[in-house]
Amino acid sequence: MIRKILIVDDSPISRKILKSCIPKDREYEFVEAGDGLAAVESYKKQQPDVTFMDLTMPVMDGITSLAEIRKYDAAAVVIVLTADIQTKSIDKALNAGALLVVKKPPTRERIQDALSKAESVRRKTP
Amino acid sequence: MNNTQISEEERDILQEIMNIAFGQAAAELAEIINIFVVLSIPYIRMIEAVDLPDYIRTEFSEFGNISIVEQNFWGDFKGTALLIFPAGSGKELISLLDDTPPPVAGSQSSDILEKETLMEVGNILIGACVGKVAELLKDVVTYSPPRVIVEDHPDIMMPKTLFDPTNSAIILKTIFCFNERDVHGFLFLITSHKSVAWLKTALADFMKQYE
Repeated sequence: MIRKILIVDDSPISRKILKSCIPKDREYEFVEAGDGLAAVESYKKQQPDVTFMDLTMPVMDGITSLAEIRKYDAAAVVIVLTADIQTKSIDKALNAGALLVVKKPPTRERIQDALSKAESVRRKTP
Repeated sequence: MNNTQISEEERDILQEIMNIAFGQAAAELAEIINIFVVLSIPYIRMIEAVDLPDYIRTEFSEFGNISIVEQNFWGDFKGTALLIFPAGSGKELISLLDDTPPPVAGSQSSDILEKETLMEVGNILIGACVGKVAELLKDVVTYSPPRVIVEDHPDIMMPKTLFDPTNSAIILKTIFCFNERDVHGFLFLITSHKSVAWLKTALADFMKQYE
């Protein structure tokens, strides 16, 4: 069951947009980080069930942050939410361990779908 | 806050929209000419239109000569797009569009090919980026034909019909890098004061769908 969601994006507007797309049928706890390094620290401290990760960020980019998180927790469920939809960027994110890549701007349908996939992966994880 | 200024929140929304739009433009370019574009965080600033030429000259003072692709766009969202590279970048990009060996540097055909390459890259990036901004803000824009200035001093002439020097302009800047060619470029979208009031409403409407 997904309860805690970590949202990583340097843009406060982007974080607000994403939160508005997350279904309201359940009470989620949100944790936010404004760059990749803060995300790694936050992940270790908060142990979220799912992480939404932007790619282009200051301090530490999303790919590096994703790799660090997956190094710390191989079962981490990370969904990349990005404006960088070049095939090479998507491949890099998937190779670094992203569950899937969702293009910006998000829609409620796409986020609901992504959360369902995350839920299903978490159920299969021992 | 009056109708000719943008708030911090409006600037953040515009920054995110520019981020999405340039991401789309980079993906289209990557699809067409098989290049990877490294993106950066866009930068938004409001300045007096009269200061625009000086601002741009200062931005590129360290480059010496630059190559510019300039294209105006009209809709409710109206202004000028400037795609700027250090001079000579066009030659670096030629082989991406054409497999045949480049003509001898300095020859007339080399200069023409460089201009055509810049025009092509500019057309794709500017069209996709401006088009996506307009689409996200529920607008439709038309474009002037692009103008290419190669190896010239950065003497940008802002079209007087769009930029009344007594008014403000919004600068949307993004820096990008073509990884395989180590070429850096800058894309500026400069919107006229006539767009500001419309833009404020359009940004508010954009956010309404996320309430």
